[in-house]
Amino acid sequence: MIRCLVITHGNIGAELVRVTGLILGPVEGLTAMSNSGKSLPDLKADLTAWLEEGSATGSPGGVILVDDYGGSCATAAQLACGHEPGRAIISGVNLAMLLGFLTWRENDEFDELVSRLVRKGREAITLVGGR
Amino acid sequence: MPVVLARVDDRLIHGQVTVGWSERLRPDRIILASNEIAADPWQSRVYASSVPPSIAVSVLSLARAAAALRGGETVSERIIVLTATPAEMSDLAHLGAPLPSVNIGGMHFGTGKVEMLPFVFIDRLDIEAMRRLLVAGLTLYAQQVPGGREHVLGAEQLAAMEPRL
Repeated sequence: MIRCLVITHGNIGAELVRVTGLILGPVEGLTAMSNSGKSLPDLKADLTAWLEEGSATGSPGGVILVDDYGGSCATAAQLACGHEPGRAIISGVNLAMLLGFLTWRENDEFDELVSRLVRKGREAITLVGGR
Repeated sequence: MPVVLARVDDRLIHGQVTVGWSERLRPDRIILASNEIAADPWQSRVYASSVPPSIAVSVLSLARAAAALRGGETVSERIIVLTATPAEMSDLAHLGAPLPSVNIGGMHFGTGKVEMLPFVFIDRLDIEAMRRLLVAGLTLYAQQVPGGREHVLGAEQLAAMEPRL
């Protein structure tokens, strides 16, 4: 199973994960983490622990979704992931990406899944109306 | 070479700096001063990639950062200088980096650290480094973001923390 970690400022990630559960029901392997009150080394340590937990349970690597490119979440994720394969960090997390992740992760190869999530996240940003 | 902000922040380059302070101060360059990060080209690239393209970025050892600031290599630029700890900022000052004052922007909780402000947790080494900065004639103030409350950190405030460490 491909795991996913949503790491954000404040409670953005926790709420996204909670709402995803309201839509699709309880899901495994989808976790939220906040940067609140954490130094960058501590944030990196928490990310490393999440990666190690996956390795220990037979699901190494995974997709890490962050809210803002250039923020502490994205930096900590890059430092924790290093150059290992099977780990992807995508910024700009939104609800559509989480729903897509849970829909596609069983059947997609890892690289295909990552590409689809980037496309899905961008497609979700659209002018709905009100011009 | 005006240093428009010398900031201690254990997250170094992140939104409060690249958006918050940079929107207010319009720096031409951010200098991240860290011996550990500067010695690792990959880590340096990770941090540098977080800076918007409109702002130049240098990741330098403390000695090289002090030399760059002292030597006028960046004579016409507005500069934000970042270190992760007060001790590194103190080293920069003692290496001759001309700093206007020191902003304590973010020192998060860690083992052995005590809360001074909700965004400033310190231990004895931090206090000693802050004292060295005061002795060097620099003003210290804690402030996370522009427009946020500015807390002056003088000898009196540091002394008040002593019994809690």
